[in-house]
Amino acid sequence: MFQSIQNKRIKYVLLIMCLILLIVLLRVFWVQVIEYKKLNTLANDLWSRNLPVQADRGRILDRNGKVIADNITTASLILIPNQIEDKEKVAKTLSEILGVSYEEMYKHVSKKTSIEKVHPEGRGLSYEIADKINSYEFDGVYLVKEAKRFYKYNDLLSHVIGYVGIDNQGLSGLELLYDKYLTGTNGNIKYYSDGKGKKLELSEIYENPKSGNDIYLTVDLDLQLALERELNNAVDKYKAAGAIGIVMNPKTGEIFAMGSKPSFNPTNYKDYTVETINRNLAIWQNFEPGSTFKIVTLASAIEEGVVNVFEDKFYDTGSIKVKGATLHCWRHKGHGLQTYVQVAENSCNPGFVTLGLKLGKEKLFSYIDKFGFGKKTGIDLNGESKGIIFDTSKIGDLETATTAFGQGVSVTAIQQVNAVSAIVNNGNMYTPYIVSKVVNDKEIIIENVPKLKKENLISEKTSDVVKYVLESVVANGSGRNAYIENYRVGGKTGTAQKVGSDGHYMVGNYILSFIGFMPANDPEYVVYIAIDNARGVVQYGGTVSAPIAGSIFKEIINLYDLKEDYEGLPKTYKWDDIVYEMVPDVINMSKKEAQKLLKNFTIEYSGNGDKVVDISPSPGNRIKQRGVVKLLLN
Amino acid sequence: MKKNKVLVFSVILLSLIGIIMIYSSSHIWAEYKYNNPYKYLINQGIFFIIGIFLMFITSKIDYKIYKEKCNLIILICFLLLILVLIPGIGTVRNGSRSWFGIGGFGIQPSELAKIGLIIFVSKYLEKNNKYKKQTNKFLLPIMGFIILFFLLILLQPDFGTGMVIVISLIGLLFISGSKLGIFIKLGVVGVLGIIGLIIIAPYRLKRITSYLNPWSDPLGSGFQIIQSLYAIGPGGLLGFGLGNSRQKHFYLPEPQTDFIFSILAEEFGFIGCAIVITLFMILFYTSIKIALETTDLFGKYLVFGLSFMLIFQTCLNLMVVTGIIPVTGVTLPFLSYGGSSLLVSMIEIGIILNVNKKSIN
Repeated sequence: MFQSIQNKRIKYVLLIMCLILLIVLLRVFWVQVIEYKKLNTLANDLWSRNLPVQADRGRILDRNGKVIADNITTASLILIPNQIEDKEKVAKTLSEILGVSYEEMYKHVSKKTSIEKVHPEGRGLSYEIADKINSYEFDGVYLVKEAKRFYKYNDLLSHVIGYVGIDNQGLSGLELLYDKYLTGTNGNIKYYSDGKGKKLELSEIYENPKSGNDIYLTVDLDLQLALERELNNAVDKYKAAGAIGIVMNPKTGEIFAMGSKPSFNPTNYKDYTVETINRNLAIWQNFEPGSTFKIVTLASAIEEGVVNVFEDKFYDTGSIKVKGATLHCWRHKGHGLQTYVQVAENSCNPGFVTLGLKLGKEKLFSYIDKFGFGKKTGIDLNGESKGIIFDTSKIGDLETATTAFGQGVSVTAIQQVNAVSAIVNNGNMYTPYIVSKVVNDKEIIIENVPKLKKENLISEKTSDVVKYVLESVVANGSGRNAYIENYRVGGKTGTAQKVGSDGHYMVGNYILSFIGFMPANDPEYVVYIAIDNARGVVQYGGTVSAPIAGSIFKEIINLYDLKEDYEGLPKTYKWDDIVYEMVPDVINMSKKEAQKLLKNFTIEYSGNGDKVVDISPSPGNRIKQRGVVKLLLN
Repeated sequence: MKKNKVLVFSVILLSLIGIIMIYSSSHIWAEYKYNNPYKYLINQGIFFIIGIFLMFITSKIDYKIYKEKCNLIILICFLLLILVLIPGIGTVRNGSRSWFGIGGFGIQPSELAKIGLIIFVSKYLEKNNKYKKQTNKFLLPIMGFIILFFLLILLQPDFGTGMVIVISLIGLLFISGSKLGIFIKLGVVGVLGIIGLIIIAPYRLKRITSYLNPWSDPLGSGFQIIQSLYAIGPGGLLGFGLGNSRQKHFYLPEPQTDFIFSILAEEFGFIGCAIVITLFMILFYTSIKIALETTDLFGKYLVFGLSFMLIFQTCLNLMVVTGIIPVTGVTLPFLSYGGSSLLVSMIEIGIILNVNKKSIN
């Protein structure tokens, strides 16, 4: 046919072109419908600019929900240089309000960046300043909410809590360890901008910031306050180099209070030395424990049956020879003939040397290992040390002997607390912990429960004997300054010479410590106090640390309203002690009979009869000799 | 006559959509560059009116005149293409010396050469129809001629227009009924040629790599493709609505020219794109139908050549903006801003209208 070849080929071309247009249409469909989500997200990132709205950092609270680390809301200045029209005027005004030089402020407002922060002068602004800036209604000048960490109690629990940097990021302590949980999700004010960064007249989107998670501690704020106060007083009074205090529940491992001096105020952390900030002495400092370590020797010896503390006797001459070396008792003339209960009461070194030697090095050091010395306790804090224990291959009788009374080993405070807690808790050891839970809007994210680490390290019976002996130490021995009338306290003092950098003992430089527990028959609180290099005082743990521990016990009694217990050991008195006596039951007796029984008290009468109807304080209470008792007569 | 009405209707509709889109996409730029948001709108409006007038005139001019004056037309085109290369006469815009500046407007001789070459080749093919089985005698001379013009346009350089012209003319040679073998050889030569061009100007290779992975260099050569996809993608099915494009706010440079389809896709979504592509399909189907029905061989070639040139340029532009092929730098007929381009497109349609009228008579 005429021109048929041309027409055929024209049709081919038409077909191909139509196919291409169809492909284009399919491609458009693909891009707009299938890839829509991806491209839309990418494009939105391109178009939108975010003004960050800072989220509140999670709070840190005590076991009763009292806030320790809180937030305060401030305003932060944000500049969007592309939107600032009159750069000179804005720079001048802002420089005057914020006290920044004009040149520097001009650099900020004309910087080639999408969002500029004026750091640090434009951060943490007060309401008044923010309001003043707002009143000018400059384009491109924004104020956004910024939350700032607020440590209500300044240096309280500072080493445990740690501190945050200017951007609210955790830098140490729990603030660092739990930063992931404490950090909230920042919100945004999202606005659209053109390719040159100017704001487009499209609606802004406000995304709420999400606060971080709250952390609840096992710590009791009131007890912590008391502990900090006592440690501060001691540091002031004795011009001490440092002080440590720990209160722990031996039945669970919960830390009720933990103090380490010198401490720091996290708000001004930059004013302190790195050592002060980083060293939580309660878990970091290694030192010779001294006599408090005898508790371990005692418990091991009783458990192994090498001694009957009530019947076996030891004669102390004031020193003991081991492998040619003479080890002295702290009392040069010696304690004479004692039962081993009295050896403990007197903290008699030669007595403990014999216990150590009777146990032998294998057994003694295996107990030391079992009670967790030379290893981290695993407390949920940063910066714990391991302590130093003799290398087993180098141990001879001399090392065994000195270790038995607490010399030549190096331990941390938390290790001692943990070991003694296990001993008085029927041989069951719990891992100490300080964070009880992490909570997000009432929903618990992490919950720490007591973790039984080791069971039956010693028998319940051994534990009871040790508790009895240590109660006796407080009632009759070196721990007398921690004694509390009508409450049962057990404990042991410690006086350890510090080892200097040259490896020798330093002269007149001691760590004076006391470790105690209450109630002595079934302990729920273990208290440890150590004062480093106290000056101007007799260098005994019993004189410096035991009274502090006593104050803490009293605080515990007040706080938790502990009931009195009359089953405890009565205190034996020295001439300068205030003597307490028990009020006898004189109800229903005649006035005369009562007077006879109450001869050590001052009696006040009310009523005119001859028969005693009531007595105050009620019978069984201990009150001071010559103290007043009131009798109601009929 | 029905076909002529369909043609005129779709051309006017496309041009009006173009004018609306040019205003919507350009007013930000125009405000920024010229302090006059209506600058591009007004210019294009004026060209649209002139274009309608030219289309009307050319539809009245007997197309056989072009055959008679063929040599004169091609000579003028040739001279203009040479003149434009001379600095001082031709002006440089967007890196190419391809304009005669007249007042505020510019005229591109390469646009005129499009029509001139179609006329010349159509006449040549009709005249030598009897030799069409002898490849050497039939195709080689005209190919040499085409390459001469192509090289002239490349000197500007305007690769996009050059390619549109060459492919359209090859299409014309193809439908004339010449032997197919030569086209395979031409394909090989074409590929070699493109490789050669890339070696001469490595920026073209960058365009190709950026096409393969535009995100590899998002601020450099992949920039335009990414910005185009950022406009098309978020448009979705229905688009943001007229005037609500975000990419026109300085993200997509000169959005009223090559990438106007992207802004259309952003503001009117898939629906808008489908309508515009359908209009183009109607336009081409109708004009190709005219070519098929024209019995005069010169007229047939002329109509096919002109329509194929428009359809090919349309496809090229759409494939570029949707990221199917690398950026080549051609405008979208009737929609993109550009006076010469619109006027020449209108004249082409006018010529097609006249051929249809004559073939029916």
